Parts: sequence; structure tokens; C-alpha cells
Amino acid sequence: MKIIHCPVNGPRPLQEFHYGGEVRDEPDAGAVSDEQWADYVFSRSGEPGVKVEWWYHIASGTWFIAERDIVSDEFIRTYLYTDGPSATAGSNP
Amino acid sequence: MPLRLLRFGLNKTYKEPRMFRAPATLKDEYDVPATLKDEYDVVIIGGGGHGLAAAYYLAKHHNITNVAVLEQGYIGSGGTGRNTAIIRSNYLTPEGVRFYEKSVELYKGLSRELRFNLFYTERGHYTLAHSDAALRTARWRAEVNQHLGVNSEVVDPDFIKKHNPEIDITCGGHQPPVMGALYHPPGAIARHDAVAWAFARGADERGVEIHQQTAVNDIEIKDGAVTGVHTNRGFVKAKKVLSAVAGWTTAITQMVGLRTPLVIHPLQAFVSEPIKPWLDTIIVSGSLHIYISQSTRGELVSGAALDPYELINTRSTLDFAEGLSGHLIDLFPCLSGVKVMRQWAGLCDMTPDFSPIMGRTPVHGFYIDAGWGTYGFKATPVCGLTMAHTIARDEDHDLIRAFSLSRFERMTLVGEKGAASVGH
Amino acid sequence: MTDRLPPQPGEWIERQRTVRFRFEGREYTGYAGDTLSSALWAAGVRVLGRSFKYHRPRGVYSMANHDVAVMVEDAMHVKARRTNLRGDVLKIEDGMDLVACNTKGGVDKDRWRITEKFKAFMPVGFYYKAFYSPRALFPIHERMMRKIAGLGTMDRAGEAESTPKRYDFCDVLVVGAGPSGLSAAIAAAEAGAKVLVVDDQPHIGGSLSYQGAGDRTRQFLADLAQRCDALSNLEIRTSTEVSGCYGDLWVSLVDSQKLTKLRARTLIVAAGAYEQPAVFHNNDLPGVMLATAAQRLVHQFAVKPCRRAVVVAANDTGYQAALDLHHVGVEVAAIADMRADGQDAALQKSVLDAGIAIHQGHVIYEAHRGDVAVDSVTLCALGRDGVPDTARSVSVDCDGVMLSVGWMPTNGLLHQAGVRFGYDDGIEQIVPNTIVAGVFAAGRVVGVFDLASRMADGQRAGRAAAAHLGLCEAPGDRSPSHAGSSPSHPYPILKHPHKQNFVDFDEDVHLSDFHNAHQEGYDNIELLKRYTTVGMGASQGKLSNMNAVRILARLNEKTIPETGTTTSRPFQHPVPFSHLAGRRFHPMRHTPMHDWHRDNGGHMMFAGTWYRPEYYMRDGIDRAQAIVGEATHVRSAVGMIDVSTLGKLEVCGPDAAAFLERIYTGRFAQHAVGRCRYGLACDESGVIIEDGIIARTADDHFYVTATSSGAAAFYREMQRFAMIWGMNVTLINVTGHLGAMSLAGPDSRRVLQTLTGADLSAEAFEYLKFETAEVAGVRARLMRVGFVGELGYEIHVPASQALYVWNKVMEADATVRPFGVEAQRLLRLEKGHIIVSQDTDALTTPAEASLGWALGKDKPYFIGQRSLRVLDQHPQSRRLVGLTFPDVPARRLPLENHLILEGDEIAGRITSVAHRTTLDQPIALAYVPPQRTEPGTKVQVRVNGRMIEAVVTSLPFFDPEAERQKV
Repeated sequence: MKIIHCPVNGPRPLQEFHYGGEVRDEPDAGAVSDEQWADYVFSRSGEPGVKVEWWYHIASGTWFIAERDIVSDEFIRTYLYTDGPSATAGSNP
Repeated sequence: MPLRLLRFGLNKTYKEPRMFRAPATLKDEYDVPATLKDEYDVVIIGGGGHGLAAAYYLAKHHNITNVAVLEQGYIGSGGTGRNTAIIRSNYLTPEGVRFYEKSVELYKGLSRELRFNLFYTERGHYTLAHSDAALRTARWRAEVNQHLGVNSEVVDPDFIKKHNPEIDITCGGHQPPVMGALYHPPGAIARHDAVAWAFARGADERGVEIHQQTAVNDIEIKDGAVTGVHTNRGFVKAKKVLSAVAGWTTAITQMVGLRTPLVIHPLQAFVSEPIKPWLDTIIVSGSLHIYISQSTRGELVSGAALDPYELINTRSTLDFAEGLSGHLIDLFPCLSGVKVMRQWAGLCDMTPDFSPIMGRTPVHGFYIDAGWGTYGFKATPVCGLTMAHTIARDEDHDLIRAFSLSRFERMTLVGEKGAASVGH
Repeated sequence: MTDRLPPQPGEWIERQRTVRFRFEGREYTGYAGDTLSSALWAAGVRVLGRSFKYHRPRGVYSMANHDVAVMVEDAMHVKARRTNLRGDVLKIEDGMDLVACNTKGGVDKDRWRITEKFKAFMPVGFYYKAFYSPRALFPIHERMMRKIAGLGTMDRAGEAESTPKRYDFCDVLVVGAGPSGLSAAIAAAEAGAKVLVVDDQPHIGGSLSYQGAGDRTRQFLADLAQRCDALSNLEIRTSTEVSGCYGDLWVSLVDSQKLTKLRARTLIVAAGAYEQPAVFHNNDLPGVMLATAAQRLVHQFAVKPCRRAVVVAANDTGYQAALDLHHVGVEVAAIADMRADGQDAALQKSVLDAGIAIHQGHVIYEAHRGDVAVDSVTLCALGRDGVPDTARSVSVDCDGVMLSVGWMPTNGLLHQAGVRFGYDDGIEQIVPNTIVAGVFAAGRVVGVFDLASRMADGQRAGRAAAAHLGLCEAPGDRSPSHAGSSPSHPYPILKHPHKQNFVDFDEDVHLSDFHNAHQEGYDNIELLKRYTTVGMGASQGKLSNMNAVRILARLNEKTIPETGTTTSRPFQHPVPFSHLAGRRFHPMRHTPMHDWHRDNGGHMMFAGTWYRPEYYMRDGIDRAQAIVGEATHVRSAVGMIDVSTLGKLEVCGPDAAAFLERIYTGRFAQHAVGRCRYGLACDESGVIIEDGIIARTADDHFYVTATSSGAAAFYREMQRFAMIWGMNVTLINVTGHLGAMSLAGPDSRRVLQTLTGADLSAEAFEYLKFETAEVAGVRARLMRVGFVGELGYEIHVPASQALYVWNKVMEADATVRPFGVEAQRLLRLEKGHIIVSQDTDALTTPAEASLGWALGKDKPYFIGQRSLRVLDQHPQSRRLVGLTFPDVPARRLPLENHLILEGDEIAGRITSVAHRTTLDQPIALAYVPPQRTEPGTKVQVRVNGRMIEAVVTSLPFFDPEAERQKV
């Protein structure tokens, strides 16, 4: 079982986490066309590569961001949403 | 002893011809040149069951034979060879039921049509319900199925126990008890690899070229229309390109700049050591997230729900094997001493409404056959049939209209999700 | 015990403990420590099992857990009958009564052996080429094939076993307790690491316990064992197998009792190599075996493998095996050495000194069958082109053939850990060619064969692992390269016109099958594997995959790396379901009142992760009567239901109201403190996902209830949105902290008033009021709500006091009666209240569910709002309405999800239905087309194949003005 570095709780087994999908920026509902909105709701960037994703540590209720290669399953770094990618607290070595 | 086998015993030499001429290992001495032609009428990306079936029907029904199937590995190496080989049509939505029913109809005649025994055997398919909600869904499916002429009914625990005496209806108290099931007598299994091989031979016999170890690296588009594909063996011109690559679809759609809802999740399975036949049926439990059947070889083939996060990788996990084994014993206590032989995984391209994405796309000449989630194998022949039609006429086949990519842009999804949490 | 040798140094059997057991109905004796195969072989038994396809007799082959043809099971009368037990590793016990798997009429006279007579008609993949026409016959063929296929017979009445599971951790996990592994373990432990060594054999030593087990190797082993003993941070577990290696070195260890899940910080694979067979005619006859199998028989079990042996060698270890046999009195008739030159001179001299003839540059061409086992062999000179020259042959009588022609590294775990492989032409072996952080390998698995080198290599790997952990400096040296001739022959495979030259012993796949499959186009290793079934059997190709790759490489005229090395997937050896399942813990949640329900007739049901009372059983009353009775009592007097399973969330902070405005479709900004209201939530696509009651308890504080099944996910999503929106709001999931009960019915006010100081009068505690008050002395959140359509109160109290309060309410008045989930479902249906997920599906929008009123008008934002704006432009396809069935007899009434049809089209469906209600008529909720929503419209419902007529009825069915809940 993989180990994920929660920025708050440190390395914990995958079982303690919930996957929250890729980080998507919600467009201004008033400024987009119906098609653009539908694209936001349904389309995903599912192609191979490094994804910026939401992960949730269930036991502590912590949402955080992980940059993960969805082909190798390597977690490149993790950080709190509010801290942004410059934070290093939860980065995997 | 079937007569067909006599010739093997009576011939000194083995006279079977190659089933598919273009070799996996590239050499020039076979009668089909290993080199790709400059141009094909249709290029099919993906030598799985779907791609090969599409090639077969293009040639058979539409007389389009200048076709190349490009496969990055070997034929049937993706979902075709990794699924648990269940075939059924007891879907929830009318569009789903009609589509899969056509597939079942084609499957039934396929061994004879392709002169290749696919080991298509009807076993009877049970979707067990352990809750009111599951039982309601079972009835919903049964009602829709019956309305559309598909043999499917809700049965009670006594019926289940009578026909599957090894099941512990109480689940040993570890799980909610079995309250009933959706029973689908035509539910079948087949030898999955054979489906790819048989379609490959059928296509090959009609002049289609199958090129293994040929990867598509990019797709050339001019003025919104496909003009060809770049492969590891050079550029090939083609005005029509079909993507039939399931777990690799997102890599292909990226090449043509199409946005889709597809995300790839692994689906794991395992197989036991061979044992003498005891399980004649196919048992699925949505509440327990399991499905199990016994192959002709005697192996128990079993799987569970999709892996919970996106991953384009076929690694196995231990927690999958643990969880699945536990739930299987809850239902079949007699399995305790049976041994699990091998784990594996396949890739599933999932859509938000548990229905495929098929047909034409905004890129002219680029056709898509994707979104196969956990149900691609059972749709193999009908996908081939409908995609061949769609490509040949540049017009979506009636059976796949509901599955168009444009449904997301229009926000008119297919309501299959309610039935498909473990939809094998 | 005709073939038992005198005591051998280091033998694994206990001669003072005789074991009696039965095999195939005959009684045998062996010693404790014997495996079934060793005991039977010692007793002179040569046919231990039958092969899978042709039912050929099979004997000892590997003694290393790969003898799949020697598969046994408990006799039919044995309780808790086991099957598919491998004789080569099954320890015998007193009283065992075993029979061979998959025979008809016993292992000696197996009637299915007749299948071999038809082998000419059963070429590779023959079953794909026949049996499909006419279609009607295939099921009959399939039934027959199924009967013949399969190995053991499962005990269909077998009971569930519960096995423990263990969790463990170590710094360094060493797989293999041979010279490399022990050396690695010692080096790592000496550097300070916590080391665990695991070996599947019952004793340590690995190859030292059987290969050339002279005094020198004994001494090596004794020294290693002593050094291990002296290290308190080094633990060794024998009879334990590493069955798989998963993400981040999460490793499964299997022993006879349990599964251990171990997190290793580093992994050293020193698992050695599987000896590989040569492929020649009749290479499966009893008596033909791997040289290491003979050595294991001799040194571990003190069993004479045969009287007169021929050793087929392609390496120096074959010579050592010949010497081992010679030392225990086996006459070694000849060594056929496939090598033309390159032999170790000293070894060769020892062999010649022992009087053993060496046929250099010779190979075994065929083995001949005597009664059942081998009785002679034909050796041929091997031409330069690798083809045996049958003109230059010699026949040798023998009852044993020992094969020492090469190895396949035991690299499955390395593969699973992410290491990739190349091919070393010098040693004709697959070797790692990538490095994975924290994963190391040593010894034969990386191609180091010489004993001293293996120990040095182990030490290097042990230090490298310790260095990886920061415990010492990294050793600079790499694995020593192999000196001398190659341990493996590049192509120990010989054609034979009679085609009984087996490549795969599990599946009876012979060489010609490969040629034929290749001819048919199966020229990729994976295709070949799938078509011929090589490697698909129970040993997963431990003795065949390497040769299969070698054969295909030649057929394709490609190198081995170009041909591909097959992948390795768990498990190393098959693992019982019971081990993986463990004790099958499936935790369920109990509400504080759980025991009360059980003690008071509550018929408990599973509701997601909770148990809930479905209804309360009463003497002489059936389920339906009980449910309607409970509901009627609520309508006429007062009832109470345990609603502790409701999701309960606290939403507080300055942005709490603004936050809920965005989460829910309704308005909350102006929502008054001390008031409750219904909340409906959608997802981004506008589909209903949740509903519940929201009470504003203070300006900056809301108390939210959510559905039992959806609460956890809803809470999680709320947390995420709070973060994304950057709102100053704190969310707490208090579902488990609070117990809750709902008291409902016309008498509820009177009853509750006796327990609380709060003024419950209609004026002071109006409908939808929220107040914190004491109930029975316990501080409670009181909400006046009306899910069931009566005057009613929800009472939320700390879970620890919930049962106390429940009891107090029950005792407060004799008329209070409990009601269960079913009565509540009925009551809410009468009120036309939906249950999310029953009356909605994965695409239902608020408008479709007739909940348009719950959408706040002119709100700037809520989740799903923008999508609903798109969906509003579509013509609506369905709408939830009430149905009644005026002229339908009871037995024709529909069930949930019976369909509404218009002509041939499916026009809708019933989502909720109650046949017996408190209203004296059956009612239902259903989706109908938008043009059929007018009350009084008739619709057709198909029930068990026949149509009935239902009438659209305005909702709610009961008390449309809500007078009863507002009193």
C-alpha cells in the first residue's frame, strides 16, 4: 500500500485517504457560455502526466493538494491549498 | 471427436496458416510487407477487440479493406485480454439495453461466423441485492429489460439458494443478507483473448492489415480534418481514423485536441488455481463489490470495484486481494481453502454517466470508441458493427446516437450510472 | 522405506518420530519433516500424480514447490477437506489420508490417461478450432471439458475460516536465507538496521542445505547461523513466503497460519534461482528430475533419488550433483555435458576419480519409459549447430535422470518492486538493469553463482541497504561478475519427432505446440503464452517461462531482450482466500438506543453502515400490520423514532450563512436565528445529492442535518468548498457525538412538555422553531419539524445521554410508542416528501423532483445553479407526481420501479409506493412525462406484464395545508 505524505499528518498509508479529483478552477458562471460551463463541469484532463489533485486525509479531515504522476503513481509533492505550491511541509523526499 | 480435429491427426505436418499475417516481430519475409503503406482509407488505432471488430465489419459490411489496425503492443493486450469475460445485456436504460442486446445477439453467432470457438457459454447472471435500494434497482432493470424483450427477472433468496447452493444467503452475519437478485439467464462468459484473435483473422482474411508493435505518436490535422497519423514506423496518410484504445484514449484525444470527461482508473481482478467445476453461474454483488465466475479451465475469475483513484498503470494492490477475498468468503464460505493464483489489472476509461463515448467528433474524420469503463468486452461485436457503419457513412449508427461525445456539451447524459456501480 | 539413506548431516527429518499416513488408499510411513513426495519416494513410490492434460504419470521434479502435477487432496471422508496441496512441499502428519487430484480411478490406473492417445488430434489451441458448430452442441462439449479440466475438488460444504493477520515493520527485509541473504542480513544488522530474513523453507541455508552439502558448506552455514544468532536486531522467519511486493514496499508474508503485512524500508531480494529443466523427449517421466531436486532428496530428506543415474549437465553444478549422488551410493552411470569445453578442471577430475563417465558435448535426446518410470536414456553428440547427432548416440540404462542445465532467477519480487531486466549473455540469464531506490538484490538472482562471491555480494547488498537508511557509508563495489562457464545453457531444448518433449509441465505444453502456434501467427511472447497456455498453470511457469522465451527468440530470430521477459504478478505461490480474508471485520455502527430497540422487538435492518429498527415486532402481527400500526399510532397519538443516524454538522463562523447560501439551493442569509428550514443541495451538474434540515442557532452558527448515507461525503465536500471559496467558516461533523430522536403525533407536545421547562405552546414554539432547552434534565437541541406530517419535535442530545432521554420520553406517557424506519417511510410518502436516491436518481434535477420551490430565486450563486440554467432550456422529460390506484385490486398494485408506459415507450416509473397506508388507499410517487402531471390524468403502469391504470394525484396525499404539523 502506498504511502502519502499528508502536509499536516506526515506519511500515512493510502487507505487513510480519499481521492478528490483534479483541481479545476471554476469559471465565472456569468461570463461563460453554456458550452464553456459544460466543459468545466464534465471535461477532465485525463491524459498521462503530472496532475494537480485534491486529496483528503479522512481521519483528520484534511484536504490538501498533491502533484502526482498518474502513470508512475509517484507523488511529487503535497501541500495545503491555502499554502500553495511554494510550501514544502509535506513534500515527498 | 469432432471431424474438424481429424485432419490434425492425419496430417504429418502442421498445415494451419497464419491467422494474421503482419507479424508482431517485424520481418520482411512474410507475404504482407512489414512496412506500412503510405495511405489507408481507414486507420484504426488499437488492436483490441473493438478495433479489430471494427476492421472486420468495415471489410465485411462496407467493403472497405484498405484498412490498417495499429497496435502498440500485441493484439488483445489491453482491456480485451484483461477483463473477466462477462457478457450480458441487463442494463438499465433503454439505449443501453438495446445496444448490449445487439451485442449479445452478435456474440451468439460469432464462433460460427468467425470459425473460431470463443467458448461463449450462457451461465446465468445473478446481481445480488443486499438492501432495499439494491432490490429496487434490480426491479428497475428487470422491468426495462422485459419491456425490451431481454430475459431478466427479480428472484428471491430461495431461488438463488436453490441454484447456487454454495451461497451463504446470510453472508455469515458479516454483511447484509441477500434479499434477492436480478437474474439474467442469458448472461454468459467467453474466452476473451479468442475474441481478439478471431476478429483479427476475420479482418486479415478480408485484406485488412494488422500491424502490431506500431504506436501512434501523433495525429495530423489540417483545417479541422484528420490527414494521417505519425507512428513509430513513420507517417501514414488517412482521412479517417478511429481511436479504439480504451485506457489510452486520453493520450490519443490529446493529439487531436479533444476535451472529454474521460479519466482512467485501474480495475483489478484475480484468478484462483483451477478446481473442478462447481460454480455454473456468474455471481455479482454490488453491495459486496464482487463478481465471480468459473472458467472452462476451472479457474475462479473474480474482481471488484474500480480502484478509487486515477491511474494509468496496471499494478496490483494487496488491499484489493484482501478485500475481495473477504467478501467472497462472506458469500461463499467454501472458498476459504481455495488459493488465489494470480492478480492483475486493466485500465478503464470512465465517463461520468457510465456510458460510452462513441461516434463522430468535432474533428472531421476522427471517430471515437471510448468510455468503456468496465463494460467494453461485452460490447465488442456491437462496437465493431456500429463504428464500422459510422466510419463508412460518416454518420452515427442509430444504436450509438445516445453515446455521442456532444452529449456532455449539451448536458444530456445517459442514466446508466444507477445500475453500474459494479456492473460486470 | 526402501530408498531411505542413512542419516545425512543436516537432514530435515526427525528419525525418532515416525509418521503414518495414507496415500491413494495405501498406508505409508515417513518421518516428521518429510514432505509427501519425499516420504513416498523413500517408500519406492514413483507415480505421485498425473499431469493436467494427458494424465501422464509424474514423480518428483523440483521438490521446490513447483511440482504441480503432484497435487493431492484429502480423501472424501476427511472433514474440512483441503485440495490442491502440492506433494513436494506438503509436510506429512499422522493420520493424513490423501489422494491425488484430478484422476479417474486413482493415480496408478488413471483412466483419463487415454487422452494421450488422442494427442495427435489435439494440437495447440485445438479447442478453438472445433466444438462450435452446431451451436447447440457446444454446451455439452463445454460441460465435458469443464469436467476434465480443473485440478482438485473443492469441499462445497466447506466452512468459512477465520485467520489472524499481523502487521509488521522492518528496516531491511531480506528475502531468502541462503548464503547471500544471510550475509546481507548480517551486514545490514551489523550496521544497526532492524533486519528480518524470510525464507519459505523450514530451515535456513538455502542452497547450502542441499547443494554440495559437504563439510565445507556445513561449516559456512553454521558460521552464518551463529553470526545471525548473535545479532539481536536480526530476526529470521522460516516456512514463510514473501508472496507479493506492493507499493512503497508493502509486502505480504504468508505462513501456514496467517498473512503478515509488512512495511519494509528497504528490500533485499536474495531468493536465488529456480533450476530449469531441459526439453527432450519424455523429459517428464518419473525418475527424471532437476539435479537440485535429487540433491534436496538426498541432503534434506535422506532419500535416495534412484539407483542408477544419468546426469545431464550444462554447468559445473551438475558435476557437484553427480558427486553428491555418488557419495550416497547412487551409481552415476554418466554425465552428459552439453558443453564442448569450459568445464571446471578440478571438479571434472573429482568426477572422473569417482569413476563417472563424462560424455562431453553430449546431450540427452530421449528418455525411455520402463514400467512407469524412466529405465534408460539415449545420449547424442551435440553438433556445433546445437542439433543432436542421432547417428552418434549411446544408450544408458538408468532409473534416474538429473538435469542441471540452467536457472531462472527468482526475480518476481524485484519485478513487482519496479526493477526492470536485461539479459546477460555471459551467464545466459535475465538480470536487473535498472535500480529502484531502496531495493537491492544479491546472489544468484543477479547472476552471482560462486559461493564465496555470493556471500560477498550479500554483504555488499546488506551494506548498501544500510547505507540507504543512512546507517553507514555506501559500499562502492558492484556484484562480482561470473567467472568460468555459464551456469545456464542458452538453449537446452531439443526437437524430437515423437513430440513428448515438455516445455510446460503444468499444462502439458510441448515444443511442437510452440512451433505450431508460431506458425499460426502467435509470435509475441504474450500471445504465445495465451494461445499455448504456457505459464498459465498453477506454478505460473516457474519451470517453463524461461524456456518459452528461449524458444520464441529462436523462432523469431531475435535476442532474448527483444523477445521480452514475461511479467511477474503476485502471488509468488498461490495464497488461500482465507489468509487474504483474515477475520473479515466489517464494522457496523450502533446508535445509542441500539440495545433498546433489540430488547423491545426492533427488527433491525442494515442501513448503510448503521443498524436501524425497520419496525417493532409484536405478537400476532405481521410485518405489514406492524408498520401500518406504528404509522397509524403516529397519526392518532404519538410515536418516537430513533434518528441518531442522521448526519449532523455544525457550520459556524462569520461566513456561515453566506457559505450555506452557496452550498444549498435555498436562501439562508435572511434566515432567522432560532428557525429551521429545508435545505436541498445539488452537485455541479445540477443533480440532487442531499437534503436535510438547517437550523440557525446563532447569527454565525447553523446546525445542519444530512442523510445518513450521504453525510460523510457531504461534510467532506463542504470542507473543500469552504477552502476553495476562502470563507471564514468552521465545519464539525458531530454525527457520532449526538444521538437524536423524533417525537411525532398529535400528543407529542403534551408528552414532551412534561419533560422540559421550555414553553412548547403553539405560540411560543411554533412550527420550524429551533431552541436549546433541557429535556429530562439534559441539554437538548429541540427542533419542531414535520417530516412525517404531524406535530413533532426532533430532540438532539449528546450520544452518551441519548438512551436516557429516550427512556424518559418513553416513560413520560404510556401512549408513546416507538416506530421504525418503514413507518417513517410510509408517513413521509403520505406527505409527498422525497427520499434522495430513492425518489431521485443519478440525473434528477430539482425541477424534475418537483422541488423547484426549494430553489432560491435571484440568488447570485449556489452549486449547480449554472448547470440548471442550461438544463432549464431543455424540454423537461419527466416530473415527480403522486399516483393513486382507484380501481386496482390489491394483488395488482405496482412495486417500486414498475414502469409507466405510453404505447411502446417507457414514460416513467414508480419510485415509492405503499399498498397499505393510514389513508385507506394505496399511494405512490412516480415520474411521468410533463404533459401528464395534471391531477386526474390517467397513466398506465405495467405490473407483472399487465397494465393497470393509475391516477395522477396532487401532492401531498395527506393534509395538503399542513394543518396538522402547524397546530
